[in-house]
Amino acid sequence: MTDLFRLVGTGGVIAYRALFNWTTPAMFVGTLLVGPLFQLLFFAYLGRQLGVADDRFYIVGNAVLAATLACVFGGTMAVSNERRFGTLGHVLLSPRSRTAVFLGRVLPYAGNGLLIAVTTLTAASFLLGLRVPVSALPALLLTLAVAALSCGFFGLALGAVGLRFRDVWLVSNVSVALLLLLTGVNVPAAELPAGMRVAGQLLPITHGAEAARRLVAGEGFGSATGPLAAEVAVGLAYAVLAAALLKIFEAESRRRASLDTL
Amino acid sequence: MSEYAIEAAGLRRTYRSRTGWLRPQRREVEAVRGVDLTVGNGELFGLLGPNGAGKTTTIKLLNTLLIPTAGTARICGFDVVRQTREVRRRIGYVFGGDRGLYDRLSARDNLRYFAELYGVPGREQKRRIAELLELVRLAGRENERVEGYSRGMRQRLHIARGLLHRPRVLFLDEPSIGVDPVAARELRQTVADLAATGTTVLLTTHYMAEADELCGRIAVIAGGRIQALGTPAELRHHADGRRVLEVEAYGVTDERLAAIHALPRVREASLEVIGAAQVLAVQSDAGVDVQADVLRELDGVRLGRVTARQPTLEDAYVAIVNRVDERRSPEAVPA
Repeated sequence: MTDLFRLVGTGGVIAYRALFNWTTPAMFVGTLLVGPLFQLLFFAYLGRQLGVADDRFYIVGNAVLAATLACVFGGTMAVSNERRFGTLGHVLLSPRSRTAVFLGRVLPYAGNGLLIAVTTLTAASFLLGLRVPVSALPALLLTLAVAALSCGFFGLALGAVGLRFRDVWLVSNVSVALLLLLTGVNVPAAELPAGMRVAGQLLPITHGAEAARRLVAGEGFGSATGPLAAEVAVGLAYAVLAAALLKIFEAESRRRASLDTL
Repeated sequence: MSEYAIEAAGLRRTYRSRTGWLRPQRREVEAVRGVDLTVGNGELFGLLGPNGAGKTTTIKLLNTLLIPTAGTARICGFDVVRQTREVRRRIGYVFGGDRGLYDRLSARDNLRYFAELYGVPGREQKRRIAELLELVRLAGRENERVEGYSRGMRQRLHIARGLLHRPRVLFLDEPSIGVDPVAARELRQTVADLAATGTTVLLTTHYMAEADELCGRIAVIAGGRIQALGTPAELRHHADGRRVLEVEAYGVTDERLAAIHALPRVREASLEVIGAAQVLAVQSDAGVDVQADVLRELDGVRLGRVTARQPTLEDAYVAIVNRVDERRSPEAVPA
């Protein structure tokens, strides 16, 4: 059991340092902290102009969305950078559980996502004057953590596609755009066509953003448990999907030599 | 314990690929066409062959990265298709070249990560990593990022990684490719030391001298099949009854080489580039002197030393591989 924890914990952290592209301070701050903050400000001012929703809607929604960049691209890097370094074959030769190896990689990305969401929310609250009830902070932190983890599993499921298709960045780029559009962080879900609304329900952070908004509005933890549970369910579903895809694509790589012929 | 470390019977692998969307073209390449071999425990076995002969595919079939299209293979008695986890616990895989390591990490962190992946118990990791860094002469440089390493250092780190979990069978796929002569000699010493400790090594290489020096037995693979198998001394018999004319030259074209190969009484002709010079090796029957004919074909080419010598393992290898090419060439010509 200790060995399993080491694989997930120590292994996950070393893999993060090896494979995540934005670990230097300049890249981390510029790409993951400053960029999302400006995006938040853009939507908040646009929202004020159009009168669609108040600042709280955009600040909380975009703070949760900020976590997606690290999680979605992190999950993709966790697999596709193995190809870049030529290490994928060595990882696949490991006798250890693939689920433990790759799910362990999600934790640092989810931690990253949580840090980014908290930083973005704090900075935007100061800049735009949003007051978050102190009593809501522990539950809000939990909600952001769940959303980041759920998004991390989503990213890993996308990364698993990288075992089969070389151009997996295309999938990640489209996914980030879809999260912006469909999760109700910037466009109220009620305003979306029915199909898009349903698709949004199946994506990570949709329910997390809803739960966070209720907590910041001072509605209490009880009102947030429903969407929070839904976010946990979505995250678990993506974790299972990621594990299944990794297993299927690895088996296919042995059968069809897809890692060699791609 | 199984009698053999490696057993392969009728091993085949076909690659199928598809290109294009509107008018997709399907292509099939039979990379391995029925390989049979056995390697004993503790043996240092060489697999020689030209590019595209099927060496790497054979290794990937044996190390579980690929599933054979037909045939069976076992490592230490475990089936490579059905008992992958058991096989993976017992093998190490090292390939040549610059890739295969995490550039942003230090050598120590690379080894720490792979120690986790290969199941080295936590309490043993520190000692094992220190031992291996010492073995591959990277102690003192272990905290530097791998991106600053020379190719020789990377290659030695590859070997350390392959040995982390004390594998019983080590696959070395062209480990000395692109490595300078001094580093290559150190590498050979490391491999010889490993074999001396009882590790079974399957080595693929292009360098005959390396195979000759290290391997107890050698298989020559070409066209996806084992063409010859034996000790280096036994393989040399493939060039028995021949003599070799060696000409140092500067500027021999493929056309001239083909013309020399086509000369009557010439059995084989091959060209190797060594530094700025080319070395042309022409094989003929022992009692036949082709020197005058060869020099006539090289008219206008700047020449250096011209010598006649006895055939080496490399000449035997060229003879074996060229025989395969000659058998296959009629298939390549459209009717």
